[in-house]
Amino acid sequence: MIHSKALLLLSCDFATAWNSRKLIVSNKRLLPILMDELHLSALVLSYSPKSEQAWSHRRWVINMIARNCSTLQWIIERESELVEKIAERSKMNYRAWNHRCWLVSFMTREQVLDELKKSRNWSGLHVADNSCFHYRRRLMLRNLEGFCYTQDNNSSGYFVETYQIWKEELDWNESLIKQYVGREALWLHRRFLSMYLIKHMATHLLAVSCQSKPKASVDIDIDSLMDHELCLVHSCSTTIADANFEDFQAQAIHSAAYMLWLTKQIPEYQGIDIQEKLRAGVGDVTRMLKRSCPDRSSLWDYLVGYHSEP
Amino acid sequence: MKITALLVLKCNPDGSDPVVLATAMDVSHFGYFQRSSVKEFILFVARTVGKRTPPGQRQSVQHEEYKVHSYNRNGLCVMGFMDDHYPVRSSFSLLNQVLDEYQKNFGESWRTAQADNMQPWPYLNEALNKYQDPAEADKLLKIQRELDETKIILHKTIDSVLARGEKLDSLVEKSSDLSAASQMFYKQAKKTNQCCTIL
Repeated sequence: MIHSKALLLLSCDFATAWNSRKLIVSNKRLLPILMDELHLSALVLSYSPKSEQAWSHRRWVINMIARNCSTLQWIIERESELVEKIAERSKMNYRAWNHRCWLVSFMTREQVLDELKKSRNWSGLHVADNSCFHYRRRLMLRNLEGFCYTQDNNSSGYFVETYQIWKEELDWNESLIKQYVGREALWLHRRFLSMYLIKHMATHLLAVSCQSKPKASVDIDIDSLMDHELCLVHSCSTTIADANFEDFQAQAIHSAAYMLWLTKQIPEYQGIDIQEKLRAGVGDVTRMLKRSCPDRSSLWDYLVGYHSEP
Repeated sequence: MKITALLVLKCNPDGSDPVVLATAMDVSHFGYFQRSSVKEFILFVARTVGKRTPPGQRQSVQHEEYKVHSYNRNGLCVMGFMDDHYPVRSSFSLLNQVLDEYQKNFGESWRTAQADNMQPWPYLNEALNKYQDPAEADKLLKIQRELDETKIILHKTIDSVLARGEKLDSLVEKSSDLSAASQMFYKQAKKTNQCCTIL
């Protein structure tokens, strides 16, 4: 064990050393020993935060703990905090965030909601880091999955809560888009949010609102959603205020691309008038795209032309 | 979104090196052994840019993933070292606020300062923490109208701030802010073409 520790401190990706430690530890399986492994890998990660071997060793240890001991929830919380600390120092660390996403599968619903709340401030201050938004998407998906599997009397309450969370996330995302101009990660996050809202929740909502008590006030309606998105895209692509400091051109491109993407996601059965609105919207979008990024105009033409084929 | 340092300097109209009046730095995200070097570089860059910010001017200098914002108001110069994502307008409204607070607390006593003042100023440290979130700085924006009237000059590199004929290397060598270790570090990083995190 001492030798492998020395080896790992020198060369953190030395898989054989990690595996030999796994071999020895799997014979003992005591909590203090497993915690030691976590300490060592945390030390290695402090100077090389992108070491995949170290992260996967942590996952192996947590799996071992999950099998034997009951302190899992507390460990998951600590892991989550560790990832956040490491991500602060090492930006866009896909492996760290991937590890955190893996932890989500062990979390209870309360933990998931808690994580969403706790990580919100951090994400708001790191709007260029797509990985942290990817983590939020993973949490929200987990929440949604939870709903799909609970088809009991409580489901409408659960659903309303899930819808509220989704709506809050959309509003928060919009305020960030307006505050931090031209951040692609925010627009990508919005794509996920709108698509899931339209595709999965709208149909559920119609079913639920017929059965549930009147006080479940969810006013989802694809029409008004699309209107809202069109408005947002319009406002983002037409304000070219202080071009020196804020990247308004990028904002215009991202918003127009978002609209184009959205038009392709709406399934055909959603109704004729929506298609009309989108077609009118798409006309605007093409103009916006060509104006803000003229060197790709043949690409825009192709994409839009593809859409309007019957 | 990060503010690494806030500094207040006294700029002399005769063109001599500025005098440091107050500093607040957060170098916790640098490795332990780099921290003292980083602080020295911050002082060096602050003096260099502050010396070349004429009264009444606002400028922003881009260096790798940092932006150094500087505002000189009648000889009292305030500077902020922010990362690339911190919005520029929010930075300048924060700098304005720091200037106002400094004059409120210290009046005109700074005009006679001759030597660097290394005493901590609690307000500056608090401001460094509080305004890490640009939304806080944006709240200040509502009460500051003069920000829109003055143009902000953008420099893509530190070299464009220097006068013609001046080289950054020679300034680094002559600087009394940088210890021998930091100068070595700078030369090494330049030779191997690495990103020298603050300079």
